[in-house]
Amino acid sequence: MRLAIAVLAAAAVLVPAAAAALTAPELAKVVREIDARQRNQGDWKALCYMEQKEKGKTDVVYELLVFRRDADDKQMFLFTKPKSEAGKGYLRIEKNLWLYDPATGRWERRTERERIGGTNTRRGDLDESRLVEEYDARWEADEKLGVYEVHRILLTAKPGVDVAFPVVRIWVDRATLNVLKRQELALSGRLMRTVYQPRWRRIFSESKKADVWYPEEIRIYDEIEKQNSTIILVKEIDLRSLDANLFTKAWLESRSR
Amino acid sequence: MLRLDVQIAARNLAAHTRRNLFLGGALAAVTALLVLLGALTAGMEAAMTQSATTLMTGHVNVGGFFKITSTSTAPLVSGYPKVLEEVRRRVPEIDYVTLRGRGYAKAVSESTSMDLVLAGVDVAHEPAFRRVLHLSEGRLEDLAQPGTILLFEGQAERLKVKVNDVLTLSAPTDRGVNNTADVRVVAIAHNVGLLSAFSAFIQGETLRQLYGLNTSTTGAIHLFLKDPARAPAVASRLRTALAEAGWRVMEPDPQPYWMKLMQTVPSEDWTGQKLDVTTADDEMGQFKQFIFALRVVTLLLVVILMAVVVIGILNTLAIAVRERTREIGTLRAIGMQRSKVRWLILLETALLALAGTAAGAVAAAAVAAGLNGIGIRIPESMQIFLSQERLTFLLQPGVIASYVLFLSTVTVLASWFPARRAARLRPVTAMHHVG
Repeated sequence: MRLAIAVLAAAAVLVPAAAAALTAPELAKVVREIDARQRNQGDWKALCYMEQKEKGKTDVVYELLVFRRDADDKQMFLFTKPKSEAGKGYLRIEKNLWLYDPATGRWERRTERERIGGTNTRRGDLDESRLVEEYDARWEADEKLGVYEVHRILLTAKPGVDVAFPVVRIWVDRATLNVLKRQELALSGRLMRTVYQPRWRRIFSESKKADVWYPEEIRIYDEIEKQNSTIILVKEIDLRSLDANLFTKAWLESRSR
Repeated sequence: MLRLDVQIAARNLAAHTRRNLFLGGALAAVTALLVLLGALTAGMEAAMTQSATTLMTGHVNVGGFFKITSTSTAPLVSGYPKVLEEVRRRVPEIDYVTLRGRGYAKAVSESTSMDLVLAGVDVAHEPAFRRVLHLSEGRLEDLAQPGTILLFEGQAERLKVKVNDVLTLSAPTDRGVNNTADVRVVAIAHNVGLLSAFSAFIQGETLRQLYGLNTSTTGAIHLFLKDPARAPAVASRLRTALAEAGWRVMEPDPQPYWMKLMQTVPSEDWTGQKLDVTTADDEMGQFKQFIFALRVVTLLLVVILMAVVVIGILNTLAIAVRERTREIGTLRAIGMQRSKVRWLILLETALLALAGTAAGAVAAAAVAAGLNGIGIRIPESMQIFLSQERLTFLLQPGVIASYVLFLSTVTVLASWFPARRAARLRPVTAMHHVG
């Protein structure tokens, strides 16, 4: 009897310490904060490099300009290099993603699962974080990821929301609330991609009147075709206002004329 | 009198057991082979028809093509409610009706892609669907949810997906713009032959969105009749009726719609909507050709076997007549007429043929029933051609009886010449014969 009481007492002391679960409000605050840190509230322009490694193929480096107008959720990618891809682009307006191919002069509507330029990159990788809008969060554990103390959070897509992956597991640095690692899964539970964001930078935004955080380097590993991967480098951020007519099909078409 | 003749013929047969067992055995083997081949072909045809008339076609279909320009073609029926109203008015034989979206798309998984012929279904209104499809994974009910797809095992294996994985479908709309849709695999069904090689089913509304169609547009109206045999008559009547009601109706062409979509219609010089009324047989043209080819092969085999059997019968009966020359001479000497001798030999052959073919048919039926019971799984590469997942023989008593009668008749006809030769023997010559 004494032994049983001792075990229960020890458990009562140890369990809260081991679990240390984020409460629902705390979790909601963490997820909100992740979004808020990356939100710009104005226009965004960046020069990006994507290096695609694919099994049995030569590595290819793409250069592209990324434009965002976060206020009305518009986005545009314009490929500038290599020469064979120059002029190709994506335009996201009213939640529809369009691909423009200057070789054929045709537009094609694509989904959130589109592999941008045939790489492992998805549109969302180059967008601001919208976790609150798109996912329901569940705290899984607090643990160590390398030298970092992290929250491990499981995100499940909200019904009716179009996302590239319906289930995402993120590892969030407890000190900075930067997302360091992301595992993206299909509903079947199959792991599709693992993403590492080891380097985070910040830039002051006039429109936000605060710093905007962004991952300067994104390493994406294809978990289906294990030898395929993509590295994205985000450079030359410019937060000045963009032309009003920039997010149009006509503007993108004019770049390749 | 006939009874007495039969008794004599039977005793004669029994008197030459070894020779008759050999001949009867050969007849039994040929009959068994014919019955088994026939039952296999019938099994394939039945499986094909059953799956096709549920998965791919109704007994009668009112489909059509819409051409914005003379070179672009989309498999659509625009303003289908009015067409359906006219169809219901003109076809009292209808049991039930289903609407099917039609299209084709490239399905892209995380690792590979393949082309699929798509059918948009409203699974809640497809009463026969459940009877034909046997799921290996997932739930058929989930196909009612938006953005869902049902694949067959071979497709799932090729695309390396399982239930709850996502595919991207990429397809050109009727306006020539490529559109894409993400669909979740909710069910994987066992293969059903050639159909499952390229056909997949997606939720009807998702297909509509993929092609940017409005709610009054569908791919085809599938009519299921109380009596499927009425399909050609109903189709013919509908063509006339729809034309009279003002729709442009295509000439009958016994080809599946996707062949017309790919080959004939794009080269025709017209624009707008045309309706195309087809029967299940039209839509299953390719399969029917395959079955026809199989039947031709079976027939050739039967002809060769029959030639061998006829030669064997002629030879065996010639030997029998020779062996029985003295006996026949004696019968003739005591007053038996030539016609009676001929009749007795023909009767003997008929009895032997009936016994042999009946034994062969019974043995084949037993083997077929046994194999049906065991349910031998057909290798996947063969399933496409045989339209079956497990080896199934369809035993039709009427058809088996016709095989027995046919083979018996051929045997009796083959025995005509030896019988005539025996009947022509002169009694004195015959009695002096030393055999």
